[in-house]
Amino acid sequence: MAQPPAYDVVIAGAGIIGASIAWHLAQAGLRVAVVDATGPAAAASGASDGAVSVASKKPGIMARLASGSLLYTRDLAAGGVLAGAYAARPSYVFGSGAAELAAMDALIAKLGGLQGPVRVTADGSAAVLPGAGAAVERIVALQGEGHMPGHKAVRAYLAHPGIAGIWPAKILQIEADDAGVNLRLAQGSLRARRLVVALGVSTPELFAGVPVLPRAGQLIVTDAGAPGALPGALTAAAYLLAKTEAPQRQTLPPVVIDPLTTGQFLIGSSREDHADPSRVDFATLRRLLARATAAYPALAERRVIRAFAGIRAAVPDGLPVVGPLPGSPRVFVSTGFEGDGICLSALIGREVALMLRGEAPSDGCEADFAALSPARFADLRQEHVA
Amino acid sequence: MSGHIFWNGTALPYRAGETVASALTRAGVRCFGAAPQGQARALFCGIGQCQSCLVHDGTRLTEACLLPCRDGLVLTEAAGPRDV
Amino acid sequence: MCDPRILVVGAGLAGLAAAVELGRAGHRVLVVDQAQRPGGAVHRQPLPGARALASPAQARRWRALMAAVAAQGARIEIVCNTRFGGVDHGGAVLLTGDGAALLRPRALVLAVGARESVQPRPGWTLPGVLTAGALQTQIKTSAAPPAGTVLLAGSGPLLLALGAELVRLGRPPVAIIEAAKPFAHPLRSLALPPGYIAEAASHMARLLRARVPLLTGAHLTRITAAGSGLQAEVETRRGTRRLVADQIALHDGIRPNDTGLTASAALPVLRLGDCREALGAAAALADGRAGGAALAARLAGAPPPPPDTDLAREVAAQARLARIYAHDGAQRLAQLPDDTVLCRCENRTLADLRALGPAPTARQLRLDGRFGMGACQGRFCAEWVARIARPDAPQPLGMPRWPARPIAIADLLGAPDLISGEME
Repeated sequence: MAQPPAYDVVIAGAGIIGASIAWHLAQAGLRVAVVDATGPAAAASGASDGAVSVASKKPGIMARLASGSLLYTRDLAAGGVLAGAYAARPSYVFGSGAAELAAMDALIAKLGGLQGPVRVTADGSAAVLPGAGAAVERIVALQGEGHMPGHKAVRAYLAHPGIAGIWPAKILQIEADDAGVNLRLAQGSLRARRLVVALGVSTPELFAGVPVLPRAGQLIVTDAGAPGALPGALTAAAYLLAKTEAPQRQTLPPVVIDPLTTGQFLIGSSREDHADPSRVDFATLRRLLARATAAYPALAERRVIRAFAGIRAAVPDGLPVVGPLPGSPRVFVSTGFEGDGICLSALIGREVALMLRGEAPSDGCEADFAALSPARFADLRQEHVA
Repeated sequence: MSGHIFWNGTALPYRAGETVASALTRAGVRCFGAAPQGQARALFCGIGQCQSCLVHDGTRLTEACLLPCRDGLVLTEAAGPRDV
Repeated sequence: MCDPRILVVGAGLAGLAAAVELGRAGHRVLVVDQAQRPGGAVHRQPLPGARALASPAQARRWRALMAAVAAQGARIEIVCNTRFGGVDHGGAVLLTGDGAALLRPRALVLAVGARESVQPRPGWTLPGVLTAGALQTQIKTSAAPPAGTVLLAGSGPLLLALGAELVRLGRPPVAIIEAAKPFAHPLRSLALPPGYIAEAASHMARLLRARVPLLTGAHLTRITAAGSGLQAEVETRRGTRRLVADQIALHDGIRPNDTGLTASAALPVLRLGDCREALGAAAALADGRAGGAALAARLAGAPPPPPDTDLAREVAAQARLARIYAHDGAQRLAQLPDDTVLCRCENRTLADLRALGPAPTARQLRLDGRFGMGACQGRFCAEWVARIARPDAPQPLGMPRWPARPIAIADLLGAPDLISGEME
């Protein structure tokens, strides 16, 4: 029953990854549909702090990809699709105590090794950042990173006229044959040559074998205050350590203080293995806010107007899953970015679009993408595709 | 028990047990400053919910309709409008 | 192990009635209230030295309740000037103010009263425009009339009650603008319980004697500044009228109050009184008693007591009142001028909502439109934004609000931790 597919590619998931892939495919002239159970940026992408940051990435593959993606994001923002979404701003990493100071040394070495767009502009005491708390032992100031609210970027990508947006539409079943993929939705069905799975934390609902786990992070939204006091995100070095350490071994709270364009602050976060956005607790908020106000005392004047948990899509070995699903040539997976999706979205979109069109990844990316392949999971079975 | 609060530097009397909003209203002060997008700060719901009557008590913004007057309390308008 | 006390938020009729029942069952109860004195809304107490406005019957009810509280002695502790910040996933409660603490009570009773509904109108954000509830709080607390003239507008029995109180204080309102036509079908009123009719008759008698204009089927359509006061444009059945007043009190009904009052799996959480269902004072007392008794039974593992039959009667009465006061005012929302502010906190207008396109989703309304994203988290705008965005199927604007109210970071950090001593 091979009817002609209406689309070249259908992308399941209208988060930042799916939106970026869709845009890049549409730019190349392919017929693209994006399907989402709720709508654009409905999950993690809409709860993000929007930091486009290389500093916060684990050394190795993630930092390399982030570095390349940051450069590319800046290109897309220079009068292009991300012009209204991305803005450059300085960023700061602070720390106290041996472990954090060592992590900051490692950060500087990592950035040096990348020779990428992020430069260290200052490295010293709290005096590096006006307004920083005197108890902070060390602050490193960085130039080259930026900020991009997830929902703005998603909207920008999905505005491409070549993309058909289908939402709200829950995918009930997926079937593949020689010529394409059929998606059965609640309101009908859809046929495409290829399927991209960019479902984030919802991936296991349709592809039980792909090991994506929810990892919640508590977030605090404050009211708006005097403008312009903190020029960019202020991140504890413990947040960098959190990427490599098990969540329970955290000694110092991994706090991030993110100034929003509205004058509010977004303060986070934690790493908890559950998927409930309403699961917040005062003890965690106090720990985060105690460290945040010590690092930036002006915060003590602010009021918390909302707190919730953003749910990241995590993978047990700490790397996203990007590549063709083993045994299902028409299904391509791109998920599990665990809080790094905003930064990596531009590059992932470009490279996945290349791979879907049968072309090689861009120079220098090939080895890294090989490491992200779903084939690395030995027990990944064929799912839902006959 | 009663005394004076200070509103933008001006001493205003209050009755014992009164809230700041009540004392300001009796003194003829209806506008408590401006909110970030320029709208007037003023009493609206009277029970600390609408967040319109916010004033600055020296350490943070707080609802004038819930804040009890005490002698010497210094209050100022919240930071005013700015470009968003 | 948690704090053995039961926390009751709200020292009004329902909260104190529940506290008395819980005290009788042997529990220790901590009652907190954000005001300076107990009383809630209905029994809001005057400033020290002022004489209460309450009728003799009302005063008797309050004295009886306070006596019942006193009879429980040290079992019931009331701490005022204390705000409830919310209950978290693990059952921890944050209190700020005089009773500041982070504690894990045995159970949580929320008796914080109803939510007042106020429809947006052009000019409703001007200083001098306030809710009828705020005006009532003002006159009850000061036991004195407002300084200048007052216009009451909107819909609901509260307007008549408030108007009558103002007459008693010697400051009759300039007019009462009522969107419904509650007197158009007098027979419907006869189906109300006698107490309701007597009260309404008393209010009407006062208003008529003072010659207060009562315009029914009338809508306040615009407020503008006029000198040091306000001017209201009122659409009546006979054309447009302009009225001036120093203050304009708006009121469009009472709703159950569920904003920010989340449940928690970790401990029993009950909502009692007007915040659960707006049924008025007598029902609040009964609901508090019944709720307190039910909670005590639940904590003792005993079967629940039989439901309160009085409440059923109050529910029926409120339903009748709602029919008497039914009107089409909500349909006017779509006809508001484009520059009418809908979200007061973020200063977002009807034009901003329309700019989001047809049938915007809750996410679009919040993230792109900024509706409900300010300090009140949609408490005053969500119901109207939802109705304008999708008149046929209004959607809630977002996840249940948490915390229950803005909490100063300094207060969040400064609250004494009564829990940690008990953990590990």
